[in-house]
Amino acid sequence: MKWVPDTTAYDETFDRSAAARPHYRPLVATLESFTQAEIDRRERLQKISLVDQGITFTVYGEKDGLERIFPFDFVPRIIPAREWERIEAGLVQRVRALNLFINDVYQDQRCLKDGVIPPELVLSRGEYKRELLRLTPPRQIYTHVVGTDIIRNDKGEYLVLEDNCRCPSGVSYVLENRNLLHRVFPEFFTRYPVRPVREYPRLLLDALLWAAPRASENPVAVVLTPGMHNSAYFEHSFLAREMGAYLVQGRDLIVEDSYVYMRTTGGRQRVDVIYRRVDEDFLDPLTFRRDSLLGVPGLVNVYREGNVAIANAPGAGVADDKAVYAYMPALIKYYLGEEALLAQVSTYVGLRKDDFAYMREHLAELVVKTTGDSGGYNMLMGPFAAKKEIEAYLAQMKKAPGSYIAQPLIELSSHPTYVGGRFEPRRIDLRPFILYGETIRVLPGGLTRVALREGSYVVNSSQGGGSKDTWVLAARGS
Amino acid sequence: MLSRVADAVYWMGRYLERSENITRLLLVTEDFSTETQGLAEQVAHSAWKDLLAIFPSAQVAPAASAFAPMSQAYLVGFFLDPGNPYSVHYSLRKARENARSVREALTVEAFLAINETFRALDGHSRRGLTDPTALRDALGATHKGLFATIGAIEHTFTRDESWLFLKLGESLERAYRTALVLRAKLPALGAAEPRADVALYYTQWRTLLRALGSLENYRRSYGARLEPELVVPFLLFDPYSPRSLRYGTEAVKDYLERLAGEPGPALRVVGRLHAELSYHDGGVAAGGEQAVFLDRVVDVMIQAHDALSTQYFAT
Repeated sequence: MKWVPDTTAYDETFDRSAAARPHYRPLVATLESFTQAEIDRRERLQKISLVDQGITFTVYGEKDGLERIFPFDFVPRIIPAREWERIEAGLVQRVRALNLFINDVYQDQRCLKDGVIPPELVLSRGEYKRELLRLTPPRQIYTHVVGTDIIRNDKGEYLVLEDNCRCPSGVSYVLENRNLLHRVFPEFFTRYPVRPVREYPRLLLDALLWAAPRASENPVAVVLTPGMHNSAYFEHSFLAREMGAYLVQGRDLIVEDSYVYMRTTGGRQRVDVIYRRVDEDFLDPLTFRRDSLLGVPGLVNVYREGNVAIANAPGAGVADDKAVYAYMPALIKYYLGEEALLAQVSTYVGLRKDDFAYMREHLAELVVKTTGDSGGYNMLMGPFAAKKEIEAYLAQMKKAPGSYIAQPLIELSSHPTYVGGRFEPRRIDLRPFILYGETIRVLPGGLTRVALREGSYVVNSSQGGGSKDTWVLAARGS
Repeated sequence: MLSRVADAVYWMGRYLERSENITRLLLVTEDFSTETQGLAEQVAHSAWKDLLAIFPSAQVAPAASAFAPMSQAYLVGFFLDPGNPYSVHYSLRKARENARSVREALTVEAFLAINETFRALDGHSRRGLTDPTALRDALGATHKGLFATIGAIEHTFTRDESWLFLKLGESLERAYRTALVLRAKLPALGAAEPRADVALYYTQWRTLLRALGSLENYRRSYGARLEPELVVPFLLFDPYSPRSLRYGTEAVKDYLERLAGEPGPALRVVGRLHAELSYHDGGVAAGGEQAVFLDRVVDVMIQAHDALSTQYFAT
C-alpha cells in the first residue's frame, strides 16, 4: 500500500508528520490489510456497478457518449461528531438568515434602506424578480432546499464558499455513494459509527408537503424536471422514485382557473407542491423567459394566488448571488443579532470602487468569478493563468465591474484518493444539504467532491471532478 | 397516471416485445438458412426476404466475404445496425430510452435488466461483430437478457396502470407482429406441395412454429405430427398458447377492459375480433380467406393503437 501525503494543503487524513489523524486510523489500518490486487479488483467492481445501474450525468457540449458516470473514489471522507455539530449549527443559522433576507428583499427591503447591503447590488441583478415583489410564499419559506459549499483552508478551518439557493444538485450521489461503498468495501463500516443518509427523501417530502397551500389529506407533490437531457436528470428521477412523487415535465402540467393540474390518463389532477428542478427563468414563459418550452404558462399566477407552492420559491436566487455572499456575515448579524458561526472566504466585490481597483492590480493572485455563473464556468484562476489569459479576462471585467467578485486562492484541503494504483492527495470540498420545512434539518455529511486531476482546484462534475462517500460519525453514547 | 408516462411505458412494452420477436426470428431463420442454403438456396433466401416484409427495413448491406453464409448480412443488419429502425439494437435502445425517461415509474430490477441487456448489445454493435458464431452467441445472450427483463417486470411491478399500459403495448405488438409473420409466410407455404422434398417441406412448417415461439406448445397438443391443417388453426385459434392470434387478441382485450370501465373505440374493435377468433367455424383459416383475414387483424391492431393514443396519451 502506498500513501502519498500532501505537503502544502491541510490533509484530512495525515498530519504534518505523515501520521494518520486519530479518526482515520482504523480506516488506514483496514486499507493496509488489503493487497493491491484486491483493491484493484474492488475498484473494478465499483465501476461496473455504476454503469450497470445507470448512475450517470449528462455533459453539455459533447456529442458522443452523452451519459457519463460520475467518478467515485472509495476512500471515504470522515467528519468527527464534534466538528459536524459546529458545521450543522452554522448551516442552520445561515439558512435562517438567507430566508429572512429574501423575505425582506421582496417585502419591505429594510436591509437596503438600513444600508446593510448596497441596493444596486440586489436590485440590478437578474436574480431579483421585480414581478414577485410583495408576494409571500406559503409559510414564508423561499429556500426549501439549500446546498452550501464548504471548503477547508490550510489550517483546516471550515469556510463557506457559496450558497446554492435555487436548485442545488448532487444529493442523489450522497445516497448512491453510500450504497456503493457498502457493497464494495463493507469492511470499512465495521469500525465506525457512521450516521445514515437514507432518510433524505422522506425528509425532503416532509419539507415539501409542509409548504402545501391546501389543507388536504393527500396533497400532491411533484418533481418538475426539464427532461432526460438535463445533466441532473438521474437525480430528478431518483428523488421522484424515492419520494413516491410524480416526475413531471412542463408539458405534463396545465394551468386552469388559478390552479395547476397534471394531465393524467384519468383526466386532470390538482398539484399542490412543485419541487422544481427547472431554472426559474424557464418556469413560466408568461412571466419570465418567453422562449421557454420547459415551463408552464400561467404558473406564476397560480403561485401568486397562493394555490401552489414552488420549491425553491421563484426569486430565491437573489440570495445565492456571489456578491450578496460577501455581505452574509453582516446579514446574519442584522437579522439574527448573532455572529456568523461559520467563517467564509474574504471577498472583493467589483461593484465597490476600491475593491475593483484592488482586483485589477492583483488578478494574478485572485480567483475571479462572475456573479451569474455556476458550475465552475467563466472563472479565472489567477495564480494558474497565463498573462494573456489574465489580460483578456480583465478586458471583460472592465465592461461590467459589478458582475465580478474576487477571492484569494484558498488551498483546499486534500484527501487520499486512489489514482493509478496508489493513494495520492487530491483537493476536496463539501456540499451539505439543508432542508427547510417545519424545522431546518441538515443531512449528515453531504457531497464531498474531489478534483481528480493532480493539482486541480476544480471539483465540478462537469470539469473532471469526482465524488466520495462522506461520513459523519455519531457522537459517543448517542 | 401521467399521460406522458403511460405513453412511454406503452412504447417500452412494444419495443421490448419487438426486440424479443426480432431476436427469435433471427435465431430461427439463421438455423433454417444454414440447414437449407446448400439444399435449396432460393428457399433460404426467401426466408430472409420474408423478414423484410415483417419488419419493413430499408436495406441490408451485402456480406463482408464471399464465403460468409447468407445469414451474416441479415444478422448484422437486423441485430446490430443502430440505423435500421427494425433492428434489435434500435428497438432495445428505444425500449431503454422510454424506460429511462420514466425511470421513476419502473422498479429498479426492471431498469437494471434492460440497461444491462442493452449495454451488452451496444458493445457488440460498437465492436462491429461479424463472425457468425459470435453473432449467434450474442443473439442468444440478448434473448436471455430480454427474458430476464420480462421476468423482472413480472415479478416486481405493482399491477397498477403503468403495468397495464406496458402489458397493453406488449400484447398489441405481439398480436400485430404475429399477424404479419403469418401474412408473410402462409401464402407461399400453403401453395407448396409436399412432394418435392418432404424433409424440406416439414422443416418450413416447423420453422414457422418456432418463429412464433409455438413449436413446443404445438407438440404438446398434437405430438410430432406436423400437418398444415393442424398448424394453421393452432396458430390462429389455440386458446392456451401465448402466441396464437386468439390468445394475443384476448390479452389486448383484457388489458383494455381493465383500463377503462366502459368500452371505448379501441375495445370495440378488439372485442369484435376476439369474438370472431373465439367462435370461428374454421372458415377464415381456409386457404382463400387467410390473407384477407390476416390483413384485417393487422388493421384492427392499427385502429386500436390510434384509438389508445387519442384516448390516453394526447390528453
